Amino acid sequence: MDPCVDCDVHCAPSSFDALFPYLSDYWRQYIGEAGIRLNGMAHAYPPGVVAPAPSSYSELSEHVFSAESEPRFVVLNCLTGFETHRNPYFSAAVASAINDWVREEFLARSDRLRASVVVSSVSPDDAVSEIERVAEDPRFVQVLLPVRSDLPWGHKNNHPIFAAARSAGLQVGLHAWGRAGKAPTPSGFTTTYLEDYFGNQPIAQAQVLSFVSEGVFERFPDLRVVVTECGFAWLAPLLWRFDKDWKGVWREVPWVKRRPSEYVREHFLFTTAPAHLPGDPAALGQLLDMMDVPGTLTYASDYPHDHGDGLSLLLDQLTEDDRRRVMWGNAASVYGLA
Amino acid sequence: MSSSQVETRIGVSSGPLRSVELVDCDVHAQATEAMLAKYLSPSARRLLERYGRRTPRVTEWYPRARHSGMRVDAWPGKPGHIWGSDPELMREQLLDEFDVDYAVLEVLSGQDCYDHPDFAAEWNSAVNDWQVDSWFSFDRRLRGTIAVPHEYPSLAVAEIERRAGDDRFVAVLLPASAAEQLGHPKYWPIYEAATAHGRPVAFHTGGYVDHRGAGYPSFYLDYHVGNGIVMQSQLASMVAGGMFESIPGLRVVLTECGVAWAAALRWSLDAAWEGMGDDVPRLTRKPSEYIDEHVWFTTQPIEEPDDPQHLLYAIGQARLGDRLVFATDYPHWDFDSPKQALPRAFGPELRRAIMCENALSLYGLPRERAV
Repeated sequence: MDPCVDCDVHCAPSSFDALFPYLSDYWRQYIGEAGIRLNGMAHAYPPGVVAPAPSSYSELSEHVFSAESEPRFVVLNCLTGFETHRNPYFSAAVASAINDWVREEFLARSDRLRASVVVSSVSPDDAVSEIERVAEDPRFVQVLLPVRSDLPWGHKNNHPIFAAARSAGLQVGLHAWGRAGKAPTPSGFTTTYLEDYFGNQPIAQAQVLSFVSEGVFERFPDLRVVVTECGFAWLAPLLWRFDKDWKGVWREVPWVKRRPSEYVREHFLFTTAPAHLPGDPAALGQLLDMMDVPGTLTYASDYPHDHGDGLSLLLDQLTEDDRRRVMWGNAASVYGLA
Repeated sequence: MSSSQVETRIGVSSGPLRSVELVDCDVHAQATEAMLAKYLSPSARRLLERYGRRTPRVTEWYPRARHSGMRVDAWPGKPGHIWGSDPELMREQLLDEFDVDYAVLEVLSGQDCYDHPDFAAEWNSAVNDWQVDSWFSFDRRLRGTIAVPHEYPSLAVAEIERRAGDDRFVAVLLPASAAEQLGHPKYWPIYEAATAHGRPVAFHTGGYVDHRGAGYPSFYLDYHVGNGIVMQSQLASMVAGGMFESIPGLRVVLTECGVAWAAALRWSLDAAWEGMGDDVPRLTRKPSEYIDEHVWFTTQPIEEPDDPQHLLYAIGQARLGDRLVFATDYPHWDFDSPKQALPRAFGPELRRAIMCENALSLYGLPRERAV
């Protein structure tokens, strides 16, 4: 069996009780007195549609390591930090507690596990401090940022996060969902879960535009961004338009020195889940011609989410070498795994 | 119907006829405030003069890189005129230059949603009066779209009914971004009225800019590319909200938002519906089937892959061969020339469909026009 990296497996504490050992007296009291509970992590886990994310190592290993194509490495993404509240001090405290919980409950129990650093999504300063706090632990491989944000992540106010990440040898994982309590799409408030679910794809596109337009990769040439659980079939048409517009208005962004698509190809990976693809093999073949699938995609099961079996259709079309890049090589190179 | 409307009905003409070959579905006539003010009631005019339009235009949020985002040669240089306000210059640079058979005006002056309903109703009505007086009567090739106070659907419906007898208004115009998502039932009465009067609804890029799932972009570049992203969200809202199921004859024209993203959106919505159809019980069919039946796209600013064949793939994957209508976007900076915009790879049949046939069917325009 070829080696494989699963770039997106979820874990989540089942309640704040699990985080209490990692929170100060003040925050334990704050949570208890206010009656704060962990909710659906900004809707990533609708109760009847997605099973809860594993809350313990035994639960995780049973599902993830006993799978037929057993991954050699797994990157854990805990979305519990994708909150609705706006208290920056609480946000920072919860992020630290989650990272400590992930370390003790999961990373300490298997050398095949890696994890994303959860950081405050309301305060870049606190995100930087948290990155510095966990930087010495090489099992953290990337900083986890939600696609739903108040300010696009490429904005200059967020650059200290990338500087800290690179100093710590970390990359960035941009994950579906995020801040709730505001319009989740660029067109307004949604009325169905289906729109929320789909809506991660348009806003991921907006984030891709932001990283390039703001010159993030000129400032941080070694930074890689792994866009997770946001699809990828939209990428080629987006870049066709991005390049075209840049040719017309490049004066506005003089730090964008090359065609936008070149930055995207060098700096972004996209996870394979969800693979929402055409059933028609001819259209699938065209898609492979339109985008560099082996250089762009990286495998993720997205456990416990289930997005259908689009991935197997796609993998069947790839050569063995290309399949190995998607399943192993791309992630191994970005995260420094061997 | 008034006598002036009878005189201007399409098809009432004599003399030589020409077979229609080119329809431009997105042309921006732009009125100055003074041009519209004369149509306002004294109280609305006083409000305009004393308090102004209050809110910044989107061009102030995201300044265009050069020349206010316009073709530099389209500046009329006449007192009291701005880009797109001079019919003579448009005739010279667009209608005559390219032998355009019909040009559909989309006047964006009423696309905000910050006005009091009384003012919004008058302002949009003024836009429509101005189209009739300054444009339709200037050149018989010109058609228009009905500007409506879209945030106040009952007033919008009244405006549609007021204009419905004039066939030169070929569609109802809404922005691509509004206070609510455009699939919201709030707006359905507008869609029902348009459909009842045989008009498609054209959603044009722009409008309200205050929804930002990922936050505000910093630049015109990511804002402008992002217009395609906004329309993706809107199309998901239209499908999931059920308006195509509930208003069977409704036709929508997604304008100036790109086209090549449509295939990926269809695959994704269909996949989501397979797994979560019970979240949208109003839908009885796959999302892509509603899109096939109800949705048209204008070309400009069409995506430009390095390999033009890829654009053909994208059009085929989204089944857009009979759903794409040509647009120049005159007088904006990213104007698409009818002579150059479509890649040669498209071939004569698809080219003719896009340049002419699809729009003739969409808007019910005659295949021949008086010369």
